[in-house]
Amino acid sequence: MTKPIETMWKDGFDKEANLSAPQVNDFYNRESQNIVDKFQNMFAMNIKAIIIGAGIMLIMMTLIGAPFLGLYICALLCPLVIIAKKELNKSVNLSKGQNSYDYLMSFDRWLKGSIETYSRYYRVFYPLFFIGMATQAIVSKAGGKIIALFVEKFPTEIFILGQPYYLIIAVTLLTLIISLSADALYRLDLNIVYGRQFKKLEQLITDMKELRA
Amino acid sequence: MGSDFYQMSILPFAGIIIKICRAYTNSNEDFEDYYQEVCLQIWRSKDNFNDDASWSTWVYRISLNVCLTQLKRSKNGDKKLVSDTLPEEAIDDSKAFVSAEINQLYDAIKHLSEIDRAVILLYLEEKSYSDIADIIGSNTNNIGVRIKRIKDRLNKYIKQQGQEHD
Repeated sequence: MTKPIETMWKDGFDKEANLSAPQVNDFYNRESQNIVDKFQNMFAMNIKAIIIGAGIMLIMMTLIGAPFLGLYICALLCPLVIIAKKELNKSVNLSKGQNSYDYLMSFDRWLKGSIETYSRYYRVFYPLFFIGMATQAIVSKAGGKIIALFVEKFPTEIFILGQPYYLIIAVTLLTLIISLSADALYRLDLNIVYGRQFKKLEQLITDMKELRA
Repeated sequence: MGSDFYQMSILPFAGIIIKICRAYTNSNEDFEDYYQEVCLQIWRSKDNFNDDASWSTWVYRISLNVCLTQLKRSKNGDKKLVSDTLPEEAIDDSKAFVSAEINQLYDAIKHLSEIDRAVILLYLEEKSYSDIADIIGSNTNNIGVRIKRIKDRLNKYIKQQGQEHD
């Protein structure tokens, strides 16, 4: 006959006179491995990366003779910095001292809200980024030469904004495709990195809700 | 300053943290990682502590919340959220405590879902149903029913393991 678990626990821990705590190695400077902190770090890194990236883009574009494209990309990246900063500030309210249900729910709300905000912006960012790049390519010397070759091979009398109609149609179609797939691309990217954790979190919340029902 | 905080406010409650972290880890390496993470989070959250709850309840809450959302390193290098399965490395932890009974009980506890582990740990620590509900964020009424179910599962598992060893 096995002992009741309460007795096993009590008797067992009575014998564990020295529940020895592991050595703590300067944990105040330790890099956190918690998922909440990882996301916070990711947002903080995003801010730095975007600012550095925007600066590099501006310098590079100026050097290759396209300063307006550099400024345009910088302007597109600015809202991303603001979004990342806002989301980072929101995450500060995620106290780990709440009860487990509130903690998991507030983390889940914050995470879903952040993903939604980012994905809404990417739906605009990617197509606008593409339009900027395409415009620069079209107005560049090399682009002009390629377009001239196309017009020679596929002559047309229909020009829109000074460009052959099929080029404008192609750019419009590509912009539409990018716009429609931006959200899916962003979520796919997130799922590749965090998909397993998201599923696990969902499972935890479902179990918690069941316990509360 | 930091070291004082650890000595004064964490170390006296190390038993709670050890008991909880052991239930969510399968190897000594993970256990030490989780323990340090809990300590780090207690230290970081100390300014949010209010007198509505006791310090020990605060330690329970943070320990459980950290363990539930801790990223665990897997052998192939990717990060997993808590231990949903028992890999072969579970064996590493089978002698984590001196008492064979406790090791046996932990082995059984680790086969429960993460939330059930939290509930039963608090119950075994002699927390009242209302305290458990308060820490987990559940209804007091459901806790009793859930504990009964968990105890049945643990007893069944321990009995099965005993028969296999006989």
